Amino acid sequence: MADLSHNPTLGLRLDRGMEVPLFRQISQGIRRGILAGELKAGLHLPPERLLARALGVNRSTVLSAYRELKDEGLVEGHVGRGTWVLPSPSTTPQPPSAWQPSPGPRLSAISDPLIRDLLDSENPDTVSFALGVPAPELVPVQSLAEILARLPAEVGNELALHSPTEGVPALREALAGYLEERGIPALPREVLITAGSQQGLDLVARVFLAAEDTVLVEEPTYLGALQVFRRAGVRLVGVPVDEEGLQVETLEPILARVRPRLLYTQPTFQNPTGAQMSLPRRKRLLELAGRHQLPILEEDVYGDIRYEGPTLPSLRALDSSGQVLQVGSFSKTLCPGLRIGWLNGPASAIRQLAVARQTVDLHTATMNQWVVQRFLSEGLLTRHVEKIRPEYAARRNALLEALAPLARLGLSWTRPQGGYYVWCRLPDDIPLPRLAAEAAREGVAFLPGTVCSADGSTTRHLRLNFTALPPERLREGVARLFRALQAARSQHREGKIQGETHQPLI
Amino acid sequence: MNQDRFARRMAGMSTSEVREILKVTERPEILSFAGGLPAPELFPTEELAVQARALLEEEGVRALQYAPTEGYLPLREWICERMNTVWGTQVTSSEILITSGSQQGLDLTAKVFLDEGDLVWCESPTYLAALGAFNVAMPRYEEMATDQDGVILDGLEERLKKTPPKMVYVIPTFQNPSGRTWSMERRRGFMELMTKYEIPVIEDNAYYEVRFDEVEYCSLKSFDPKGLVISLASFSKVLCPGLRVAWVAAAPEVLSRYIIVKQSTDLQTSNFNQMLVYRFLKAYDFDQRLGRIRDTYRVRRDAMVAALEEELPVGMDFTRPAGGMFVWLEMPEGVDAHALLQRCLKAFVAFVPGFAFYPEKGRRNTARLNFSNLPPEKIRQGVRAFARCLAEEMEARQPQAALSAGK
Repeated sequence: MADLSHNPTLGLRLDRGMEVPLFRQISQGIRRGILAGELKAGLHLPPERLLARALGVNRSTVLSAYRELKDEGLVEGHVGRGTWVLPSPSTTPQPPSAWQPSPGPRLSAISDPLIRDLLDSENPDTVSFALGVPAPELVPVQSLAEILARLPAEVGNELALHSPTEGVPALREALAGYLEERGIPALPREVLITAGSQQGLDLVARVFLAAEDTVLVEEPTYLGALQVFRRAGVRLVGVPVDEEGLQVETLEPILARVRPRLLYTQPTFQNPTGAQMSLPRRKRLLELAGRHQLPILEEDVYGDIRYEGPTLPSLRALDSSGQVLQVGSFSKTLCPGLRIGWLNGPASAIRQLAVARQTVDLHTATMNQWVVQRFLSEGLLTRHVEKIRPEYAARRNALLEALAPLARLGLSWTRPQGGYYVWCRLPDDIPLPRLAAEAAREGVAFLPGTVCSADGSTTRHLRLNFTALPPERLREGVARLFRALQAARSQHREGKIQGETHQPLI
Repeated sequence: MNQDRFARRMAGMSTSEVREILKVTERPEILSFAGGLPAPELFPTEELAVQARALLEEEGVRALQYAPTEGYLPLREWICERMNTVWGTQVTSSEILITSGSQQGLDLTAKVFLDEGDLVWCESPTYLAALGAFNVAMPRYEEMATDQDGVILDGLEERLKKTPPKMVYVIPTFQNPSGRTWSMERRRGFMELMTKYEIPVIEDNAYYEVRFDEVEYCSLKSFDPKGLVISLASFSKVLCPGLRVAWVAAAPEVLSRYIIVKQSTDLQTSNFNQMLVYRFLKAYDFDQRLGRIRDTYRVRRDAMVAALEEELPVGMDFTRPAGGMFVWLEMPEGVDAHALLQRCLKAFVAFVPGFAFYPEKGRRNTARLNFSNLPPEKIRQGVRAFARCLAEEMEARQPQAALSAGK
């Protein structure tokens, strides 16, 4: 790594198109440098005025960034003496319990409406890789209709009425069985039914996080989780992901520095990279979490959708000390429209979440819970997953094959062993905004990597979903992407010749 | 520090008193006036299942996919038409957001409007579960006094001048817990004040259509030139509570905030449930079904009011609601409803002490009695037992009160 201390901009790159405010981008960049050991203890940061000039921002912006770092105990500063990096504290005080509720609310910062826009119906001519939805033609509509036909006789009036906040007892039991099959010996009281996993994330943030808490997230990560955390006003610290998942090795120095309230991870077929955390890393992560009293929020919504490789135990399955809360859903395996998800964790945490849940929306729709209860307990989900797996594997293969020629343009991508997504990296000479414009013209849509990033470091990435489209549409979409890439590159080159500056990046 | 955090959070979120009471009253031998539950036999389980099946067969996977956060457009259009013909409003579908029950409307309201320490005005008494949703934001509450015509306007303007609230929360129609309905004059006067001082008004219309008697009312939205009213309403009381389909009606610039917050809260309300509600509304005559609900509850209200008139000791004051689900009882000063409840539970009758419906200073001599969940003969039986317990309680605990009540 270059010696950043002699770089007038500290190697910072600002993206004015991003939702993350500039001061936050600056503080995140410096924080990353400190935690990675690139900015060493004792090093003087550039005076605010100089850094502001070098980055082309107001002095007050740099001031805010420095102030935030001071609040976190990462740097120290005095008038006339400048600002310098502090050594890491020698001991970390241990919080008494992992799942301590925190005082409420904040929630003034409002995040971008991107998911919503993506959910909006799009131009039917566009080939969209953007959404994370199951193949519509594989949703088991008929067997769900059959279940609905017999439910009134089997369940009676209860079907239309209110049900317990924690969930319909029969579904909690069926879910406990489902979890048991996945190596998690769950009791019904360790399970809370939610309206999809998004609500699970929201509830956890509501009960366990307070503004200014630090939360560790994978970099990149699920954008819906970022929205929840940003709204909660927490400080996000990204931990990089590679093909073996979260880089657990980089955690230790971070944990020595900051005391995060929570780590959020998707260890299995992560959204957006498709990466799977290796078993040694899972064990190491739990060991670290135990030592540092770090609560883990594990999201596992793609675990059942495995195409190859061994089945790895979830963090919750490996957890022996109540360190892990798991959030899950049937949106990716069955269908999203019924809105059935769950939280699974220590009974005490589940109880607190249930109390919060009551003021949120009382309970999940009763009929929907019964439909899923039957689907689970009659073994239909297992059969259904066996049916969709080979079909999605074929789609993944079709996408990967179709992408092969794009390597010539400098595009690279992951090869996921399960899940919904392929994660691509653009070559340096094709800027993402340019590509997005060209893609819109060609009629192909994807999720820009920037929205999956806590600190804006994935500005050259795109996420492609392959489950929603049949192979021929996938191929058509890639052909359009190819043309868009070519157009974006030649435009970029012309732009350079004309001396245009497309992006105010430094 | 952690203790500190714990206490503050739990102050807002603890298992509520009513929840505890409701647990006790789940026992089948108890005659319960405690819940706020609709009559289970009124709900069209069979028809819903038939429509749900037909929905899947005709719409297929469209009903099971993700959909826009705002909600299913045909349903939003139906709601607009209903509101504009029956509620006296002029809303368009771009002013409607579908929520997962009106409880979620309250929760989103807290997220959109409230920061710690913000001032909220509400009626005295008011619906405590709404406060449960707001408490997460840790606001402060001030009460607005009420009488049989709703909020008392005298003195409000002085308060508005001095310390205006961040928002007000009101239930102008068939209020929970009091059963009262604001007069048209009060509605107009209240909105004139709120408009003058530009205070957002959260209007909870959970019981709006559950009307038994002819009484004139309309949504506060019809006196809202500045788009300050956020109107919450639900299908829970008029169609089916288990489906969790409700809505927020608000001016577009306000609603857009709700939509963004809703999105990160749970993405959307189940598309399947929304399409099912719409299908149901199309397949059956809504007004006819509503008529059946109204007829049933009217008979129950009559039974309760008649029994209370007949059985209660003199000196009691109770409401005679023209709609909704509750009668509100004020007993003589000195009678403690909590002690009365203990006595009643031994006689297998339950109700909710009114204390918990006051955000500031509770009155211990009040009680909320639900009449929607029991058939008339059970209501009479329950009121008889309740009255007996009340007489005993007055005798045993507060001979003074009994004496003065008897005068």
